[in-house]
Amino acid sequence: MFRITRLLKTIASIGHGLAVFVFLLLLAVFIRQADLMIKNSIVTSALSTIFFPAQYIIASIDDYYGKSSENEKLKRENAELRVELYRAKEGLKELSRLHELVRFEDTWDYPIVTARVVGRNPGRFLTTFVINRGKHHGLKEEMPVFSMRGLVGKISKVEWKHATVQLLVDPNLKLSVMEKRTRAVGILEFVNGRNLSAMIPTNAGVKMGDTLITSGLGGIYPKGIEVGVVNVIHKSDLEVMRNMEVLPFQEFSLLEEVFVMQKEPDWIVREMLK
Amino acid sequence: MIWQWIRFPLLFLVAVVMQTTVSKWIRIFDIGPDFIIIFIVLIALRRGPVVGALWGFFAGFALDVYAPVEWLGAHTISMVVLGFFVGQLEERFLTLNLGMKIGVLGLGFFVCDIVYYIAVGFDRGVVFNLLLTQTLPESLYTMICGGVAFKFLFAGNLKNKHV
Repeated sequence: MFRITRLLKTIASIGHGLAVFVFLLLLAVFIRQADLMIKNSIVTSALSTIFFPAQYIIASIDDYYGKSSENEKLKRENAELRVELYRAKEGLKELSRLHELVRFEDTWDYPIVTARVVGRNPGRFLTTFVINRGKHHGLKEEMPVFSMRGLVGKISKVEWKHATVQLLVDPNLKLSVMEKRTRAVGILEFVNGRNLSAMIPTNAGVKMGDTLITSGLGGIYPKGIEVGVVNVIHKSDLEVMRNMEVLPFQEFSLLEEVFVMQKEPDWIVREMLK
Repeated sequence: MIWQWIRFPLLFLVAVVMQTTVSKWIRIFDIGPDFIIIFIVLIALRRGPVVGALWGFFAGFALDVYAPVEWLGAHTISMVVLGFFVGQLEERFLTLNLGMKIGVLGLGFFVCDIVYYIAVGFDRGVVFNLLLTQTLPESLYTMICGGVAFKFLFAGNLKNKHV
């Protein structure tokens, strides 16, 4: 034991730690260059063992801090919601009449699972978070996740009792969106590390302040979930398309509770994902 | 003896808790300090390049686990580089005043971010944009918070002391 310690100390002292540095750097580069499957297994095993309980403790501290202010906010919201409830009941009656009229298919008729955010990535960009619901609660990959304000993202990985949510601000997530007023369809993605950006045909006449919703194309997200509002319109290299900065309806770093829609992707998308 | 073993893991835990809670509460215009980098710089200055690189590896990996899986390893690489190079200015051999330490922290933050952006594979234009809009203000904010930590929590110099 003593010899091993002495050997390690000798190796560590080579070149004022250069040997250790090179070893660690090579190991890190190996992880960086590894196959996606190996990366996934590394992350899954780390999340399921050391990091999940640690994040749960951190989330509890955060949760405790936010409780009193949240209580006040909830009381205020409660009063507002009572008023809105009355209006909504009236609206529902009107909606059911309209449904009968236009034979509107109720595509949002999916069970909803409520989940609490128990872990966030503390790194440079917030792109994913962990929720306290998993396979045990009926969740599967690719299920849409949303909050009271609008779309949050989708489930990217599911464990037995927790799952990882890939947020809209993940550069690897692309989403088909529709502008609410003009019904123009475009693609939304997180491009330069800071802004959500949408590409929408120029002739659609989309203006600043217009609202984007999910288009329902692609088969993962149902049509009509609010995504964000057009904040800035840039001229694009392509004359036919306009590049627009989109302001999401929510601050992703402040989300505490989300809803998961138990909607599985349509079969065409499943085939594409294989 | 036990304190010597657990103080750095404890400090790391405090840094992670602060990064995921306090950092969020004190954000100004979506810019917040990075307590993990303060921790790595502090450890590297106190204990040298080997310990700095080791803790850089561990802390970087912890950050990577919660980043997109395609970028796994990018934080690890940048933090190992940060820990090793800052560790070359180990306090046992060099005397650094508070201003120098804060300067090292700011420079370390910049280098760490550049290595990270390169490791992730961002385009040059995006890197330049991020350096101006994110790295620069965040490094300044981190320097302020790091200065407070160096001044009040970890004052004193370890030159000629072997701890």
